[in-house]
Amino acid sequence: MAEKTREGPMDAKRFAAVADAYGGALHRWPRDEQPAALLFAETEEGRAILAAAGRLDAMLDRHRVEQPSPALYGTIVARATGEVRQVRRRRLWWLGFGLAGIGLAGAVAGLALVTVVSPELPSDRYVMDANATSFGDAGPDADQAEEDL
Amino acid sequence: MGADTDEELVRRIGAGDPAAVQAMVARKLPRILALAARMLGDAAEAEDVAQETFVRIWRHAAGWRQERARFDTWVHRVALNLCYDRLRRRREWTTDELPEVADEAPLPDAMPGDDERRVGRALQRIAPRQREAIVLVYYQDLSNIEAASAMQVSVDALESLLARGRRSLQAILVGDDGDD
Repeated sequence: MAEKTREGPMDAKRFAAVADAYGGALHRWPRDEQPAALLFAETEEGRAILAAAGRLDAMLDRHRVEQPSPALYGTIVARATGEVRQVRRRRLWWLGFGLAGIGLAGAVAGLALVTVVSPELPSDRYVMDANATSFGDAGPDADQAEEDL
Repeated sequence: MGADTDEELVRRIGAGDPAAVQAMVARKLPRILALAARMLGDAAEAEDVAQETFVRIWRHAAGWRQERARFDTWVHRVALNLCYDRLRRRREWTTDELPEVADEAPLPDAMPGDDERRVGRALQRIAPRQREAIVLVYYQDLSNIEAASAMQVSVDALESLLARGRRSLQAILVGDDGDD
């Protein structure tokens, strides 16, 4: 929806086309065309086109709508209080839910990391004899070995 | 200190600021009500649309982010969608397509003081998309780019709708069907 920009002088055809669409008040015209339109509006042809468009503008100007009543204003503001509070509560709930989800995801990821990174060692490396010490086997065979010395 | 921008008000509403809610209603209600009144030609329905538009504003305020459209343009789009919902519900049209052909028969001569109602009736007799274009540019003072964005059409398409709408109004109001 990008707008084409029109630069340079404006001819009568384009001036009439823009007046046909936007009416006789130049402030409603496309901003990029206003400088050229202002120049053309000084010509006799330009003045005639604007005057013709201005006749419909004058009729449209007669249409006025009522201003909002204080009652409508009050109703909307009163309803807003409940709505805004509800939306905030809902967002906080989702925020809490999200944080809990992040925590849970972290725990699962941590567990997965431990599982993947930790090498799976043979079970006999873990199961040590109850008599073993860091200096060697302290079981009955060890005693015998000491006696043999 | 200048007034807050729409976007700043939206941020404050999202944070639950009641003063921002009041400021937003004071700022936007006259515009939304005028838009709906001219689109629908019915003051009571326009009030309903205004209320529904604000409910959507409150619901989206906390999550609203300025991306392509300005907040005011987005509000116009919301209000227009609500207007179209109502226009469709009136069952004035038997097909899904809204008519592009307006009833351009001239209105009877106006009684003194009746001009305002004549214009209102004329607006209701042109095609809704033409009416929408004229209301946005002429009465709501949106720029051509903002109006095209609110209508989700190109600027060229907007200009075409404006020109056809004005010609239709001219034909209805003064019985001069111009060169169309």
